[in-house]
Amino acid sequence: MPPETLFERITDFAARADPYPLYAELRDSGVARQADGSYLVGTYHEISALLHDPRVSSDPRSRAEPHEDPAATGLPPSFIGLDDPGHDRLRRMVMRPFGPPHSPHRIDELRGEIQRVAGELADALVAKDRFDLVDDFAFPLPVTVICRLLGVPEGDVPQMHTWADAVVAGLDFAPGEDPSPRQRAAREARQAMGLYLGELAEQRRRAPTGDMLSALVHEPGPDGALTRQELMVSAVLLLIAGHETTVNLITNGMLTLLRHPHEYDRLRDHPEEMPAAVEELLRYEPPVQLLPQRSPLADIEVAGVTVPRGAPLILVLAAGNRDPLRFPDPDRFDPRRPDNQHLGFGSGVHACFGAPLARVETHLALTTLLRRLGDLRLVEDSPEYRRSPVLRGPRHLHLEQHRR
Amino acid sequence: MHVVVDLNRCQGYAQCVFLAPRVFALHGEEALTYTPAVPRDQEERVREAVVACPVQAILAGERAGP
Ligand code: HEM
Ligand code: SF4
Repeated sequence: MPPETLFERITDFAARADPYPLYAELRDSGVARQADGSYLVGTYHEISALLHDPRVSSDPRSRAEPHEDPAATGLPPSFIGLDDPGHDRLRRMVMRPFGPPHSPHRIDELRGEIQRVAGELADALVAKDRFDLVDDFAFPLPVTVICRLLGVPEGDVPQMHTWADAVVAGLDFAPGEDPSPRQRAAREARQAMGLYLGELAEQRRRAPTGDMLSALVHEPGPDGALTRQELMVSAVLLLIAGHETTVNLITNGMLTLLRHPHEYDRLRDHPEEMPAAVEELLRYEPPVQLLPQRSPLADIEVAGVTVPRGAPLILVLAAGNRDPLRFPDPDRFDPRRPDNQHLGFGSGVHACFGAPLARVETHLALTTLLRRLGDLRLVEDSPEYRRSPVLRGPRHLHLEQHRR
Repeated sequence: MHVVVDLNRCQGYAQCVFLAPRVFALHGEEALTYTPAVPRDQEERVREAVVACPVQAILAGERAGP
């Protein structure tokens, strides 16, 4: 059966390479009720207001028809799926060993290590005539970095890699295919990862090693200590939330720059302009295209439409990022765009926890690639995409290299 | 380089503190403080903070100020 409603057309795999015309249609149609009772929002100001509205819940249990959570593990929910005050308490406790005010230097001190890992991965590409940017660079970098941050020993990184892979595969979906085996594998990987990290934290409790897990168990703040289960789900959340998102930002970044060769050359010669280019990439090709998890706690009015309590409320960040009412000439990739208050990291109380790490990582990854590699050509445009309409990005990005 | 933060715009997202912790600091959960005269070895980090600030509250220049 051909896809019918706008949401079905957006999630249809055929739209993955270029969903932007559908997003324009969504903005024009206002707050759009779908046949399945969900509501889609694609305009910047409405999305931004909803992300700051305390009547909008992130908790799957606020849905009128709670669906079985395919990621259910028997563990308590992580803070991305909780509302305040429970969300705020956990986020603050996990922030304590990660960032200001308590640990302002943690990410800055990781720069050297990120640069080293990115440099080593790039070294291995320099002599190749052809490679896959995803498998050979973008995929290994974020897992390695987050393992270093948490304090996972070097020898266990490949295992984390395998688990992260399984979890990501479970998030993906292919129409017409039974997703349950993949989802079961993902659930098992999540559990195994949680058990592993809980065990590692116990070891760090006995013998701290200066990493984030050690600080998490050793320096409880005014809110007290996390329970073992809270610690497990929070550590798994950091690994999962920061993994495929960063892979996609790096990959979308290279794809976009190769499609804009003039900007590619300019950024290679002016690496100091890369941080602003990363912000533009987060607007122009955001790794998280939409937030599917919200629902209102009361009947609320959005742009003249009443969205009933408990209805699925889907916020299409990538559509808001190209709203002409907010961004002049929104379909143009402009790395020097002023006033770039994009929605790539969300906004409000759930705004991306790991944004500073993702920024530093992507900035260093892209400047390293541009500096080190020769002249590159896309082997195929468009590349093959992953299935997911939520975490959108190429599955492979095959590149041909001519040495300079 | 000099910086000025428009503290009326600043929302306390602390992106600047993560990226340039020797120039920006957060006291308690909310109050941002900063060193207006940026040491030379921190200038690159401050440029990163300027573009990362979600509300574009940081003004940097050779002579910042009104
Ligand atoms: C380019 C990379 C990334 C992108 C595009 C991204 C995007 C996002 C977005 C849009 C949200 C909001 C979700 C919502 O409102 O429901 C979010 C939340 C979150 N992100 Fe990221 N993220 C990235 C990297 C990371 C990294 C590296 C980490 C971990 C270190 C991370 C950890 C989190 C966490 C824990 C949350 C939940 C925050 C909360 O609920 O309070 N993210 N991210
Ligand atoms: S990043 Fe911007 S909003 Fe956040 S604390 Fe710094 S100046 Fe304020």
